[in-house]
Amino acid sequence: MGSQKRIAKELSELVESPPAGISVELADEANLYEWKVHMKGPEGSPYQGGVFLLKLSLPTAYPFKPPTVSFATKIYHPNVTNDEKGSMCLGMLRADEWKPSSKISAVLQFARQLLAEPMPDDAIEGRIAEQYRNDRQRYDEVAREWTRKHAAHQ
Amino acid sequence: MSTMDLQEFLASEATHDRDDLVDLRALDFVSSYDSHLMCPICHCPFVEPVRLQCDHVFCYKCLQSAITIFRSADTDEFPCPSCRTPTSRVSTSVPRLLINMCDEIQVQCPLQAEGCAEVLPRGHVQSHVDKYCGYRLVPCPDDSCEKTIRKKDLQSEERCLHGYFRCSRCEEDVMEKDYEEHDEELCPSLETSCVDCGTTLPQRELKKHVDTCPDVVSPCSASKYGCPVKIRRADSAIHEQICPLVSMGPYFEAQNTRLNSLELTMRHLQQRNEIFEDGMANIRTTLLESARAGRGSNRRRSLTEDDMNPTRSEDDESAERSSNVFSSNATTYLLSLHESLREEVNQVSHALTDLDARASMTIMNECLRIKEDMAHTNAAVNSVRLQVQWLMNPRLHNGARTGGIRSNTATPGNETARSQLTSTSAPGSSSAAGSSLGPLRPRRPSDSGREGTKL
Repeated sequence: MGSQKRIAKELSELVESPPAGISVELADEANLYEWKVHMKGPEGSPYQGGVFLLKLSLPTAYPFKPPTVSFATKIYHPNVTNDEKGSMCLGMLRADEWKPSSKISAVLQFARQLLAEPMPDDAIEGRIAEQYRNDRQRYDEVAREWTRKHAAHQ
Repeated sequence: MSTMDLQEFLASEATHDRDDLVDLRALDFVSSYDSHLMCPICHCPFVEPVRLQCDHVFCYKCLQSAITIFRSADTDEFPCPSCRTPTSRVSTSVPRLLINMCDEIQVQCPLQAEGCAEVLPRGHVQSHVDKYCGYRLVPCPDDSCEKTIRKKDLQSEERCLHGYFRCSRCEEDVMEKDYEEHDEELCPSLETSCVDCGTTLPQRELKKHVDTCPDVVSPCSASKYGCPVKIRRADSAIHEQICPLVSMGPYFEAQNTRLNSLELTMRHLQQRNEIFEDGMANIRTTLLESARAGRGSNRRRSLTEDDMNPTRSEDDESAERSSNVFSSNATTYLLSLHESLREEVNQVSHALTDLDARASMTIMNECLRIKEDMAHTNAAVNSVRLQVQWLMNPRLHNGARTGGIRSNTATPGNETARSQLTSTSAPGSSSAAGSSLGPLRPRRPSDSGREGTKL
């Protein structure tokens, strides 16, 4: 019960004053626990110009348990799995790192920050992380290419 | 008891979160509140706050659920939801200030949906709902009736108002509690006529009708641009086609926006201009100041120190006059004065160092010259002395000879005296000569030294 109130509150805050480059809506009006998030690629990153769709799902025990964030749009990024799931590795979302006082807006902003500055040391896609570290130019090219192909603004 | 361990805390019950009480978290907040008053768990202003050892504060109920979820079964500790500090005790004593601030936040009455428009501090909601709010549904005072009724409809008569009445005009059954409203507004038999078109229609539809009535006379849509025509709604379409002002409307609109933006720019420019003018005035004052200061310092240089003060005051007066002319801002004036004075002091100190350097240079030059002179003089004196000695020698010899004759000593003669002059090889004779000739010891001309001068 308590979780719904808090989620509704955070949702209305996010809808009323969304953080830069992020817009939020419910995937299904009847279900508060599944959100759709549109995130613009941060300027100056190879994802610039793309709009990425993220799925955010909240556990019923929210805020005591962390939400999970995944990319529905394919993205070339060391911290996002390169498969159908598009799972994202965010430090603050790990169960032992999560704090009930963290807000969803902070999570989303952190996710966007991760697009601007990938963290190759925490990577899930080791190959991309390797490339990010050693061949930055090539990485930028591929990421830009993928953004154009998958996340082009309709 | 102000602190307790987790078991006790979980067993205890929050006083504010029982079902029959108003849910303070569901209230609509009229104004925004300080985010520090927000429980990090439920994101509402604290309801019955409690405190952990790490000084983080949570709602009673939120903390209870957090503990149930986070506590590992075998320990008596749990991590603080904000900072993850292991905690085993909960303190129910939080500053009164915090509670008061939370209770002071303005909220809507929870019965807003029923029609209560009351806005009140959160701390008063409970008593408002319990005692004063007329929109609360209370069970019907008649025990046999199971319905509820709004408190204000109950009024003072403690009887069941759920019986049906038959409206005398529309033949509809209406519950007694709704009868008043029905009688005044909702009864379909109530009729009224539109002032514009004269149609008769039920009262409850009047509002809707007025919005669409074709006979309502309204001003032309271009009235704000000066069209004087007032026309029936039905005819307005025809008028709008021929009204030149309507077709000009968009143009006027565009012009208006342009004018507005231009005005805005104008205002900006004016402000900037003012700033520049101020700056100009400042610069002018400063220039004037420094010019005067330059003159003043010239004068001052020629004056003695006692005359400094009068000059300064004179400066001040004239500066005041100029300040009246150029700048009304006293502070700016003082600043510029200060600046010019500083400039002056700088000049003076420069001049001083200059003079200093020059003086020391001259002194050094002078010294060198004097030293040279002295060396010359020394050399001259030396040569003079040598000449004097050389000149003196024959006389000394003569003196010795006459002395020897006078004392009648056997040994000294012209020869011995000469031999003494060239060498002192014969000790005996020399000692004898030394003892007898003590003060008139002969010297070789090459002999230098001050002994000679002591002669």
